[in-house]
Amino acid sequence: MNYLPEGVVELILSQLKNARDIASSTCVSKQWQSCVPYVPSLYFPRAVFDYSQRGNNKGSDYDATIGRMIAEAIRLEELVIYCPFNPSNLGTWLNLRADTLRVLELRMDGFGDKPGPDGSGTQLDCIRVAKRLELLKIWGVSLTAAPKWGVLKQLKSLEIVGATVRDGVLEEVVHASPNLVNLVLLSCEGAGLVKFELGRLERCRLDFLGQGNIALFLSAPRLEDLYVQGFSSIWVKPNHRIKTLSIAKNHGRVYNVEMGKLAEVQSLYLRGIQWSWGAISSVLQYASDVTHLTMKVEFCGNSETLLPFPEVDLVNFFNSHPKLLKFDIHGAMFASFCQKNSLAKVNSNFVIPCLEEVSVIVRSALNAEQKLNALESLLTHTPKLRKMVIRVSQMKNCNEAADDFFEEVCKFRLMNHRVVCVE
Amino acid sequence: MADNGGKKITLKSSDGEEFEVPEVVAMESQTIRHVIEDVCAKNSIPLLNVNSKILSKVIEYCKKHVAAAEAAASKASTEEGTAAAASVTKPSDEDLKTWDAEFVKVDKGTLFNLILAANYLHIPGLLDLTCQAAADMIKGKSAKEIRKFFNLKNCISPEEEEEIRRENQWAFEEEKRTRAFDAYA
Repeated sequence: MNYLPEGVVELILSQLKNARDIASSTCVSKQWQSCVPYVPSLYFPRAVFDYSQRGNNKGSDYDATIGRMIAEAIRLEELVIYCPFNPSNLGTWLNLRADTLRVLELRMDGFGDKPGPDGSGTQLDCIRVAKRLELLKIWGVSLTAAPKWGVLKQLKSLEIVGATVRDGVLEEVVHASPNLVNLVLLSCEGAGLVKFELGRLERCRLDFLGQGNIALFLSAPRLEDLYVQGFSSIWVKPNHRIKTLSIAKNHGRVYNVEMGKLAEVQSLYLRGIQWSWGAISSVLQYASDVTHLTMKVEFCGNSETLLPFPEVDLVNFFNSHPKLLKFDIHGAMFASFCQKNSLAKVNSNFVIPCLEEVSVIVRSALNAEQKLNALESLLTHTPKLRKMVIRVSQMKNCNEAADDFFEEVCKFRLMNHRVVCVE
Repeated sequence: MADNGGKKITLKSSDGEEFEVPEVVAMESQTIRHVIEDVCAKNSIPLLNVNSKILSKVIEYCKKHVAAAEAAASKASTEEGTAAAASVTKPSDEDLKTWDAEFVKVDKGTLFNLILAANYLHIPGLLDLTCQAAADMIKGKSAKEIRKFFNLKNCISPEEEEEIRRENQWAFEEEKRTRAFDAYA
């Protein structure tokens, strides 16, 4: 076969994105050459020009190549540039394809807030010409000054990874993209306050580095998925539709969480070294209808002192979360169930109606007897329990008590081998 | 899939073999759909550009996709609550994708013929699938290798080729290196 129908060549080419493949295609045949201008995507990987390294600085040549390929792709919808480039050229490139560009992904290597080519504004200002942009993703950018984007009405998804920000800048960025449905800010740092309002936002993922206290104020009535890491104080306007919620703080403390009733929540994930008990109990109260709960908070307390969890009444807890299907508990929370008073209240009528899977991480042999009693209680009062996983991680006190406890856990497993397994 | 007495159509391959298929399966091909709808009821449709080996593969694809669509539609209407329905149709979406991936694991010649057949018969899903498979096979290849893969004649004049190479120097560096090796091989 030495001939392919024209539509077929176009279709094959449209599946190619890598600039190297597109460049090779230009040399295959006249027919292929004529189809290259219609490619919808161009992707310049990090090392796309590396083969040509001969010691001389060909940076400007590579930028010229990028410019030429963008100019030739008259219907370009998606542009991804991971290789190094001179940000002053960005404006020219975007102007060429402002009418067709829907997806733009750039690796900025720390640029962004430096003055633009004409000496004013920032290097990211030129993005404002891409009025049809629906998805924008920027890696490694400096956002200490807000880029002037006007209003990007079509922008539905904004992802910024690895950014240094200043208070207020994010608010302006969000202001310029009022119709966002998806907002992702990962590995960001520098802010003390993150505050914004988005009427159409459905998915939001915010990850801020650092030990300090960062506050979040968020209003998003259509919000369904929220993942936040790094905030010590979280306020979400009630009347959201949150179904999946994850709150983590890898360093430092969570002081308070206010978000009103989580009426539609299905999955809740809490993680951190230290949370104030007020914050934990607020969230647990809001999430009374939760079905999947993961608690991986190690300590409580409002100050430098790390405190254990206060006693949590087993019966009350499960009665206030009747829809629980799957429960994943880290040591500290489990230990708080295992207090004498908590277990004393368990009577034979008590039922945990829906729970099917429990996963417990046990880290110490303290209160061994109570821990085993708690496990037994869980088993006895959970009619639908299919699986109980007990993860015994490195015991803090490596002495006989720990060995005994482990033996008891194994016995427990043997007695209930259909349901329990130990890892 | 239930062959429950729906109307059947006979498709005749270029080498004379006849395939009887339910009309709904045959209508996955827009070309055949037009013949059935516009050119009044035909019981046997000759397909001069598709041989029996390829036609049987095409029919296999159409049968699978019609069945998958029917299964998804019936599950969605019988399951109570959209959440349950969504969790049921998702695995079958993935099953279909897996099936598609296996379907295109064929030799080059068969793949090309499938592309041409899907193009001639206007079966968009099959055309996308097979072109994607072909594209995956040429990723990373040089122009010369792509030409060889598709058995295409090089119709670009040497002068023009030289100019293109100069412009896309960076994309041809690796080819130059392998050429140098060839000289010593």
